Amino acid sequence: MNIDQIKSQFPIFRQKTPAGKDLIYLDNAATSQKPQSVIDAITNYYTNEYSTVGRGAYWPASSNTAKFNQVRKQVKGFLNAASHKEIIFTSGTTDGINKVARGFLAPKLKSGDSVMITQAEHHANLLPWQELCRVKGAHLMVIPVLDSGALDYKWIEANLSEQVKLLTVSACSNVLGIKNDLKRITSMARQHGIPVLIDAAQALSHDRIDVQELDCDFLVFSAHKMFGPTGVGVLYGREHLLDQLSPFNYGGGIVKEVTLEEASYQDLPSKHEAGTANIAGVLGLGAAIDFLEVLSQEEVSDHLHDLTAYAMRSLQSIEGLRILGTASNKAPVISFTMKDIHPHDISTFLNEEGICVRAGHHCAQPLMQRFEIPASVRVSFAIYNSREDIDKLTEALLKTKSFFE
Amino acid sequence: MNDRLKSLYQTVILQKAKEETYLGQLEEFNLELKAYNPLCGDKFNIQILVEDNVLKLLKYSGSGCSISKASTAVLCEYLEGSSIQTLPQKIDLFLELVDADSPKTPEELTEDETLLAFAAARDFPERKTCANLSWKELQKQVNQLFPNHSKE
Repeated sequence: MNIDQIKSQFPIFRQKTPAGKDLIYLDNAATSQKPQSVIDAITNYYTNEYSTVGRGAYWPASSNTAKFNQVRKQVKGFLNAASHKEIIFTSGTTDGINKVARGFLAPKLKSGDSVMITQAEHHANLLPWQELCRVKGAHLMVIPVLDSGALDYKWIEANLSEQVKLLTVSACSNVLGIKNDLKRITSMARQHGIPVLIDAAQALSHDRIDVQELDCDFLVFSAHKMFGPTGVGVLYGREHLLDQLSPFNYGGGIVKEVTLEEASYQDLPSKHEAGTANIAGVLGLGAAIDFLEVLSQEEVSDHLHDLTAYAMRSLQSIEGLRILGTASNKAPVISFTMKDIHPHDISTFLNEEGICVRAGHHCAQPLMQRFEIPASVRVSFAIYNSREDIDKLTEALLKTKSFFE
Repeated sequence: MNDRLKSLYQTVILQKAKEETYLGQLEEFNLELKAYNPLCGDKFNIQILVEDNVLKLLKYSGSGCSISKASTAVLCEYLEGSSIQTLPQKIDLFLELVDADSPKTPEELTEDETLLAFAAARDFPERKTCANLSWKELQKQVNQLFPNHSKE
């Protein structure tokens, strides 16, 4: 696989940073850069073929509708869902999780019931459940994270019961980068008949998930972390579950017949997509999946494995640098602290070298409390990163360290 | 290290961030500020003993980056002994010093070299919130507690 050729498809890397450096983008866990093909898909839609979808019986509405529906089929293939009816477009992962919380769990959750999450969740997969439990008088059960960053699977086994009405877990921690053993979790939950939601936001730029093989009930992701645009994502749900639910939102585009007194609703998937969709976003998502599918998944995986292992070695060679989460099976996401140098100071120093990293709590404050640190530096890699980027990172970290010492 | 960084991380800022003169807690105080930046997690607790309308003693604790720590330490140092009446003006001065949108040059605002060091934050807009975190919180409290003294 030719990394230079792949990187050349991302126009942002053609320019220099304001400090006159090459851009070394290591904040891919927050959001990834966009290839030209995704930018072109969006530009082409607004420039040459702009219209709504689903309603207009004219060109370009008809051709856009076909393209829009085609992306749904693409996502079905990408996740290996059983049917395109199981693919609901959302505004992103947060929206998807909130829809499952409000649309699926809220109507059935009772006082005394439980929702099981993990200590490593992004706020997006914590707050909707925390709030729902608060309102319903239900318990929020929290799977502990071990010192290694791995989940305590024995704890899960010991604490699953019929009281648990949903288990929700990220495919991969956005701070520690540890990939969770999702199959093990769904198998355990299945024994108790507990539905499982997977937050795959952090996973799909580097891993594939087969929802049928994984046997999960819901899965959500955002396009923007996998080379697609912001403001669009997907909620996958098993057809019979989505079908039972009342519409997530009420409004145009979801109805069969409406009177002033009542309405009947369309079948899946339209039923859950009230309002005009983020059409440009969906088309951009389609282009992002095309981009990913042209690449060899094995080569992408090998490259990111190599980068992660190389970065772990390089970072660990820096005296006083502490990596959070050292369990095996690490995604290309590494968080660390370096002596008592504050992550923000590190970030400012690195940025002068053109290096973009994330400093802070990464929207996972309970996890930071678990590791007893206020903040960390996070580096995260994507397909366009190279060993050279990591060498520059290491060099800049050493310079920063010597300045503060 | 380039000149921009040099100006942001001047010796005075690094020293103030490490200095322990104002670090700690007061046994007796009647004003307490909790300055918190939810975006980055920087958190300071500032305790102030006000007597006869004068800030007699100040101490701070908590954690943050060099810039926010130094700025909090300097807040304690600069305001110790100040009367309540002079606070709004002193706070405004500091906030303007780190504000890139101010029409005034830092040198037009003050001659105090310690304070001037923070003006480098004007070149790092993403660090402005580090420089003004504790000062903004103090401003909020002063406006609430002593509305008669706040600016017209």
